[in-house]
Amino acid sequence: MNLSQTENNGLSTSVNLVPLLVILALISAFGLAFGLHSLLVGHHHTFGTTREVPWGLLITPYFFFACLSTGICIVSSLGQVFRVEIFKAIIPRAVFLAIVTMATGLMCITLELENPWRVGVNAFSSPHPSSNIWWKTAIYSLYLIFMLFNFLSLILKNEKRARIFAIIAFTTVTLGNLNMNSDMAILGTRGFWSENYMPLYFLSLSTITGCAAIILFSWIGRLLNGQKTENDSEEKALMATGKLFMILLFGFLYFTVVKVMGGFSPIFTKNPEAMDLLVRGSFSINFWLGEVGLTVLFPLILILATGGKNITILALAGISCLVGSFVLFYDLVIVGQLIPHYHQYNVVGLPEYYAYSPSLHESMITAGAVFFYLAAFIFGEILLRKKFSHA
Amino acid sequence: MKITNLKKLNDEGVESLPSQERRQFLQFGLCITGVFLGGTVLSLTSARNVQGALSGGRFLSTDFPYSPHYTMVIRESHCIDCEKCMDACRATNSVPAHGYRTTILERSVPITPDRRDRVFMPILCNQCNRPPCVRVCPTRATYKDTTTGIVRMDIGKCIGCKTCMAACPYNARYFDEEIRAIDKCNFCYDTKLKESNGKTTACATACPAGVRVFGDLTDPETDAYKLIHTPEKVFWVLRPERGTLPNVFYVNR
Repeated sequence: MNLSQTENNGLSTSVNLVPLLVILALISAFGLAFGLHSLLVGHHHTFGTTREVPWGLLITPYFFFACLSTGICIVSSLGQVFRVEIFKAIIPRAVFLAIVTMATGLMCITLELENPWRVGVNAFSSPHPSSNIWWKTAIYSLYLIFMLFNFLSLILKNEKRARIFAIIAFTTVTLGNLNMNSDMAILGTRGFWSENYMPLYFLSLSTITGCAAIILFSWIGRLLNGQKTENDSEEKALMATGKLFMILLFGFLYFTVVKVMGGFSPIFTKNPEAMDLLVRGSFSINFWLGEVGLTVLFPLILILATGGKNITILALAGISCLVGSFVLFYDLVIVGQLIPHYHQYNVVGLPEYYAYSPSLHESMITAGAVFFYLAAFIFGEILLRKKFSHA
Repeated sequence: MKITNLKKLNDEGVESLPSQERRQFLQFGLCITGVFLGGTVLSLTSARNVQGALSGGRFLSTDFPYSPHYTMVIRESHCIDCEKCMDACRATNSVPAHGYRTTILERSVPITPDRRDRVFMPILCNQCNRPPCVRVCPTRATYKDTTTGIVRMDIGKCIGCKTCMAACPYNARYFDEEIRAIDKCNFCYDTKLKESNGKTTACATACPAGVRVFGDLTDPETDAYKLIHTPEKVFWVLRPERGTLPNVFYVNR
């Protein structure tokens, strides 16, 4: 299927989407050009990262998009793998979204590396299975391949084969998500990422963002395609996703409380300063507004107020949750690093907290990645509109 | 169906559940358990092993896995912060201006409620026996030398992910833009240590106050061995709570 065929089918809205796609792609290219510049001159000159805070803003979109893709895959698996009838209508768009989401995440981490060209060779010639980072890259790359085969099988109407790839992809990406727990915990050399509750925390957060993205992008897709039919199978699927979204948000509220209590308790952490910085320090706005307000409370209030029956309100809850969880991932990556290595040694001149703020290059690359994602979504809508609308 | 209507229904009991449904429920539960366990197994060993296994405060093994097992003992109270060690390190190992392999921190140590003592604390890579940096490296660019126990770098394999920097509890690593790889102290493995036939490092040689004592923990004749095996002598390591088994020890005198 190509664009011209789509147009010949008489679906006029696709024509309107092309200028939007071009604009998004151009903005994305502009942002990503900063990434290429950084690769050429070295991150030392363009990134806000330092020896003390080596992981900066770009780790955030990587974790965000990787978890988001995991969540989308989990939600689509409800229909495709577990054969829950009501979720089947969202499968094609969800599978496509899962692919472009993970591709965006991997693109972000590639631009975050100083020597990305060495990954291809050394990941194979000198693998390190004890490294969680190695596993994560391997798992997410394999997942991407399985999901591509899944999507191709869906296009070719071979649902049996698509389901087999979906099962493999679902298993793979869930393993990757759980692996992220140890990945983060081992980096807690300054003790912030408590290990015990993290697997379920990441898994539930991923599924929440997955629900949010599916609702939001399906709503946009329906709007762009002029689908106004009410009570169709897709709308029912979105309502069901909304219910799942709401239940998980309640669960996540509990995790947020556990996270704070664990972060302050000397039983669980040797570094309560980090949690203090997050909850009461300079990151408190991020925490209360982003992690608690936008991620959990605001979406919950919106869903409860409308009974989860208004797709537009659900989409609004979705975008709020996605923005909030991006802030959450930023905090997760940055705050733990801001506690000085030798803070307990009474070192003269050592700041209470290390400083980090994203540079122009980091911000532009992140913006470029987000616009790349939006452009890929629009591209998908143009290319596969017929497939989506008939699913 | 409304929840209130549930009360009006007869309790059918679990006995009436078809075996097919029971099997499906068990299958679903086993799938979730399997996936969860699989994810944990993928981590190979728990992160706790790296972080806090030494809760009892053990940080010196009685057996040494390497031969020679290189170590450095820092006689902290001797340091006058002349920075000759840092200069020697830069000159010997071509350390760029934007980084350092070793530095000296100034501490203000409380002696009495109203008096504080000024102490200089040289820091460098601790060449840990359980190094988090080695554990996290995805391409084995940083590794533990199987003979000497020195944590070394294979710069051609470094992808620049900086995970090792994030994992190091001692802030001992930096990204060298000139070689496009992580650089760190390796006890002058390919420079001074090689030249001196394994006897000393550039910083230890340059120190006028004998603060840095380099030696072999398996050789009872070396000063380093004697310093930490003297009865009643107090020695310590930095950040023992991380459980990294450092090979850099600190003594007062």
